[in-house]
Amino acid sequence: MRPALDPQQNPCRPRHFKPAPCAPRPAEGPVKQLLDTSRTRLLLTGVLFTVAFAAIGLRLVDVTVLKDAGTKIGHAHVRPHVESARADIVDRNGVLLATTLEAVALAANPKLVVNAPESAHKLATALPDLSEPEVLAKLASGRKYVRLKRQLTPDQQYAVNNLGLPGIQFETVRFRVYPKGSLAAHVLGYTDTDNKGLAGIERGLDDELKTSDDPIELSIDERLQYIMKEEISTQIAAFSAKGGMGIIADVSTGEIVSLVSLPDFDPNDVGANDDNTFNQVTLGTYEMGSVFKIFNTAMALDDRVTTLAGGYDATQPIHVGRFTIHDDHGKHRWLSVPEIFMYSSNIGSAKMAVDAGAERQQAFLGRLGLLTAPQLEIEEIGQPQVPRPWHLVNTMTVAFGHGISVSPLQTVTAVSAVVNGGVLHRATFLKHPSDYRPEGTRVLSKQTSEDMRRLMRLVVERGTGKFAAAPGYLVGGKTGTAEKVDTHGYVKHELLSSFIGVFPINAPRYVIMVSVDTPHPNAKSMGEATGGWVAAPAVSRIVQRMAPIVGIPPVDEDSPEIRRALLVDFEATPGRKLAVN
Amino acid sequence: MSAFRLSTWLWLSLIAAVGCGMFLVKYQVARLDDELGRVNRSIDADRDQIRVLGAEWSYLTQLPRLDQLRQRYLTLAPITRAQLGSLDQVPFRPGEAAEPAIAAQPTSPRRPSVALPGGADLVSAKPGASR
Repeated sequence: MRPALDPQQNPCRPRHFKPAPCAPRPAEGPVKQLLDTSRTRLLLTGVLFTVAFAAIGLRLVDVTVLKDAGTKIGHAHVRPHVESARADIVDRNGVLLATTLEAVALAANPKLVVNAPESAHKLATALPDLSEPEVLAKLASGRKYVRLKRQLTPDQQYAVNNLGLPGIQFETVRFRVYPKGSLAAHVLGYTDTDNKGLAGIERGLDDELKTSDDPIELSIDERLQYIMKEEISTQIAAFSAKGGMGIIADVSTGEIVSLVSLPDFDPNDVGANDDNTFNQVTLGTYEMGSVFKIFNTAMALDDRVTTLAGGYDATQPIHVGRFTIHDDHGKHRWLSVPEIFMYSSNIGSAKMAVDAGAERQQAFLGRLGLLTAPQLEIEEIGQPQVPRPWHLVNTMTVAFGHGISVSPLQTVTAVSAVVNGGVLHRATFLKHPSDYRPEGTRVLSKQTSEDMRRLMRLVVERGTGKFAAAPGYLVGGKTGTAEKVDTHGYVKHELLSSFIGVFPINAPRYVIMVSVDTPHPNAKSMGEATGGWVAAPAVSRIVQRMAPIVGIPPVDEDSPEIRRALLVDFEATPGRKLAVN
Repeated sequence: MSAFRLSTWLWLSLIAAVGCGMFLVKYQVARLDDELGRVNRSIDADRDQIRVLGAEWSYLTQLPRLDQLRQRYLTLAPITRAQLGSLDQVPFRPGEAAEPAIAAQPTSPRRPSVALPGGADLVSAKPGASR
């Protein structure tokens, strides 16, 4: 038997035969260490790449599949928010009152100007309104920047560009435009050349105007503003007066829908020392005269000092210290409370105030906001001048609106509260949203408010305010005539003649105040320049013109329902005075 | 051997397709970007125009000016109290209240009643109407 051959040496061994593998020889020593390190590094790199690719993959899925098309992924070229110009101001109906426009201004860098005299000559030829010496002085100044002209028309810009002068440059400037001119000028105010607000809303809401993208909506109504301005101007001309003012306020919200202070100014072109920029309505404080009897009577009725059936003896003037209180066109008899109001008796009002006392008087006027400066969106706010100390004589004179100065705006705000059911609303120049009804604070009772409305109707029907009557519309109100005060005291023939009207008086919506400053009696007024003659007719015309605009339908003033609703039994007999006093 | 070739071709064509797609998309983006810039500039210009036109409109519709224009060119006047009223103030047609039977017929007040030679009334002399 042949011995078994080693398969390796067997010449017939099949080709596919592979020797059995030898067992792997484990690496040892430095080789093992090297292999371990390499393996760790490989693993680390692998993990790193896997994580990175996984992250990219996830992000891709996120961006392409999960995110919707509306989301902005990158907006390198999407327009950034344009640097917003100062916001527009519009009236309550969206009519544009102030806006910002762009214009091209002409400037120069004198350091780059090659030939100053020649450049100046060419510029002055191209722009005839530039003065050559002035331009030359600017170009030769050696500064880095001079402004040559504020606004260029496109034609002018083209002409200057064609000159091809080195160192002359164009820049875009923004400037404020008031398309309605002087209408509502005192509310809007104006800005300086750097578009910084200097007066009115422009100043009071400067920050809002700078940041807001939406126009600021004022409570002002352009149409009513126009009517007011026209009618008050008519009265100023008819009575050769110094000036005048007027307000229309919404009694249920405190919104000022019209504010006129005449003479006024054009905010597009305000002179440095323009006296007409003075806002008489909010900054000016005046002794309002008999208009204050509204507050005096309301106080007496609300505090139950007297009733509509009560009355006071107005036969004799009152002497207090060196003062004498008397009635103009006095009746010299006992007067009922409604009569005191309708004939505007100073004596009766003073006695009513004394009955109430200084404390209650101050508390009541304070509640109506007449003793402190009001809060407004504009900064032109007059500080009321209140008697200090508050003597007996002050109590008496304040009753008929003397010895206390308040702004017409405050007066209107307070009268709104007296007639609207007794709720005081802060005056505002901003439009409320249509469904927003401000809460306000109750300052007097509903009943007192209703009584006051009846009394104010009586003034127009049979008292001092007959000229305020507007056929078809129910106007109530109160006249006021005050002698103006200067540094030496009262000036005899300088009056502030006012009428404060409420319309419609049975369900008040608007308070309208018109004051004329220093009216002179004319041929028609029979020597009179009082509120009833000067301001009341304007209120009548304003009511007739504004009613169709604000949607108040005409009524039959003599219908029994209205008669009954506004009835006052004013001819109370003197005998009843015993029961009250 | 053939399997190796197939996968190579597959990858190569994929790379070519992706490259081509990338190229096209890039150019499309550049084109859109140009257009976006153009549209934005035109929006800017239009906005400026609108502002200017708004200011001009407001300037031209100043109420004193409109009032002057009205007086010069129109015969219109502001509404007065006489033009306002409520629906219940509108009276019925004279015929309707008095004779409802006749009013029920479709007679138009605009049609003038013409007296015929025979003494008959044209409006009432309609076919079907009883005399």
